[in-house]
Amino acid sequence: MTPEKNSTFLILILALSISIVILFGLDLFLGSVNIPFKEIIKILFTEDATKKSWEIIVLESRLPKAIAAVLCGSALSVAGLKMQTLFKNPLAGPYILGISSGAGLGVAIFIMGLSFLGLSTVDLNSFSNIGIVISSIIGSTLVLLLLLTIINRLKDIMTVLILGVMIGSAITALIGIIQYFSYDTQLKSFIMWTMGDLSSITNSQLSILSPTIILGLILSFIISKPLNAYLMGESYAKSIGINIKQTRVLIILITAILAGSITAYCGPIGFIGIIVPHLARMLTKTYNHSILIPIVALLGINILLVADIISQLPGSEKSLPINSITSLIGIPFIVWIILKNKKISNLN
Amino acid sequence: MSKQITISNLTVGYNNDALLSNINITTNSNQLIAIIGRNGTGKSTLLKTLSGTLPNISGSFNVDNKNILTLPETKRAKLLSLVTTKPESVNNITVKDFVSFGRYPYTNWLGIGNKDDNTTINEAIALCNITELSNRDYQTLSDGEKQRVNIARSIAQNTPLIILDEPTAHLDLVNKIEIFKLLKTLTEIHNKTIIFSSHQIEYALQACNEIWLINNQEINNYTPTQLIENNLLNEIIKSKDIIFDKTSKTFKLQ
Repeated sequence: MTPEKNSTFLILILALSISIVILFGLDLFLGSVNIPFKEIIKILFTEDATKKSWEIIVLESRLPKAIAAVLCGSALSVAGLKMQTLFKNPLAGPYILGISSGAGLGVAIFIMGLSFLGLSTVDLNSFSNIGIVISSIIGSTLVLLLLLTIINRLKDIMTVLILGVMIGSAITALIGIIQYFSYDTQLKSFIMWTMGDLSSITNSQLSILSPTIILGLILSFIISKPLNAYLMGESYAKSIGINIKQTRVLIILITAILAGSITAYCGPIGFIGIIVPHLARMLTKTYNHSILIPIVALLGINILLVADIISQLPGSEKSLPINSITSLIGIPFIVWIILKNKKISNLN
Repeated sequence: MSKQITISNLTVGYNNDALLSNINITTNSNQLIAIIGRNGTGKSTLLKTLSGTLPNISGSFNVDNKNILTLPETKRAKLLSLVTTKPESVNNITVKDFVSFGRYPYTNWLGIGNKDDNTTINEAIALCNITELSNRDYQTLSDGEKQRVNIARSIAQNTPLIILDEPTAHLDLVNKIEIFKLLKTLTEIHNKTIIFSSHQIEYALQACNEIWLINNQEINNYTPTQLIENNLLNEIIKSKDIIFDKTSKTFKLQ
C-alpha cells in the first residue's frame, strides 16, 4: 500500500468512527418520547435519572436497539462483501445462499405450527420470541448444511450460486403454502418478522449476539488473504497456494454465523449487504480485503443507524419496519450504480 | 547436472473419461516446451492436470523428484506457477499489487511481504518490461499488457516451472512475438522450465527446445528439427488445403 493510500484509509476510519458516535447518540436521543440529551448522558454514564421511566426507555429499549443496529450493520455488510468476492458477482449479498429463506421457513413453521397446537403467538410473547429465534437458527443452519454437503462435490462456484438461488425459491414456495393454510393472526406475526425488527431484541439476547458477531467479524478479517486471492478466480487462487475447498467452507461458514444469527434475532434486513461493499470500494478504490473489511463494517454501522433513526419517525408515535427503509435506500442506489457502470461486470 | 521432469503413466480427462491415456514423457528441465495439437485434442486438459487445477485420473508428474500432483497447494505453489489464456478481471488493483499476488505462497497471513518480496516483485516487473505500467489500474490495460502482467506475477512466484495455457491467444502479432521472446529469455537466462500450449507452430519451432505433439490421442516429445525433418506436421494437419514447407519452415496454402 502506498503512503498516500494509507493516509486516506486512516482518515476514512476516523471519519466513519466519529459519525458512528454521533449517529449512535442521535439514535438514543430521537424517539416517540422526548428525553433531554443531558438526561440520556446521565442515564448512560451515571446511575440516577430524573425520571425512572426515562431510564427504562433508554436502557431497556433504545440502547439495545442501537446496539442491535451496530451489530446488524457490520455483520450483514461484511457478509455481503464476502459473498460478492466468493461468487464474483456484484449483486450477491448475505442472503444469496438461501440463509434468510431457510430462517423464514423455520419461523413460518414455528408461528403457523403453533396454531395447530391451539396456541397463538399473541398470547405467548416471550415464549414466541425465543421460539422464533431458535426456529430461524435451525432453519438457516439446515439450509447451509444442505449446501455445504453439496458444495465440495461441485467444481464451479457459479453452480453453488445457482443452487443457493434454487433452494431459496423452493423454500419460498413452501412458505407460501404454509401461509395459505394459516390464520390471519399467525400470518401477521410472520409478516412482521419478515419486515425485520431491531426493537424486539433484549439485553440478554444481546449478550449472546454481540460475541457471536464480533467473532464472525474477526474471522472475516483473518481470511482476508484468501479472499484477495479469490478475486483472481479459483484456478489462480489455487495456483498461488490457496486451499480452495477449505476456503469456500470457511467463507460460507463465517457468513452463516454473521447473517444467520442476525436474521434469527432481527429478521431478514435487505440490501445493506449488497450496497455497503460497493460504497466501500468506491470510497477506498482498493481490492484489498484487509482494508475493505474494516471500512465495510464501519460504513454498514453508519447506514443502519441512519435507517434506524428514520424508521422510528422522530417526533411521531409510529415507527416503520426497518426492512422497508433499507430497501428504499438500497434499491435506488443499486439502480444508480448499474446505470453508472453500464456493464454489470465492472461492478465487482 | 541438469534436472529432469518426468510424466509417468499419466491419464487425464474429465469425470474419469480419459482424453489422453498413459502419457510417459521424460525430459530435461530449463527448456522451453510447446504443446501443439489441433483443437479438442486435450492441450488445455493436460495443462490443467499438470498444474493441479484438474484432478488426474491416474499417474504422476515429477519435478525435482517430487510428484507435483499429490502436493498440498501451499507446497505446489512454490514449485509451479500458472498463466491462463484469459486473465480474470480484478477491479481497483494496480499492476504492482497484481504482480504481488505471486508472493502469496511466501507472505504472512495478511499477505504483507517484506523487503525481499518487494525486490522480487520489482525484478519480475522489470523483466517483463512493464515498469512504466506499475502504478496503472490493471483494468485499463490492453490484453497484451495484461498478459505480461500475468507472466510477471508468475515470475514473482519464483517457481522452477511455469505452465501457460495459450498465452498468446488474444494478442496481435508483435505482442505474440514479444511473449515468445520473453519465455525464451526466462528459460535461457533465468533457468525456468516452461511448458505452454500454442497454435503458433511456426514461432514455436523457432523458439522452443522441445515440442510435445498431440495426435490421435497420443502425445510424444520431439525437437523442432525432428518434427520438421520427419514431416510430422503434415501428418497431423490432414488437410489438402495447407502443407508445411520444410525449407522455409512455414505453412503454405495450396
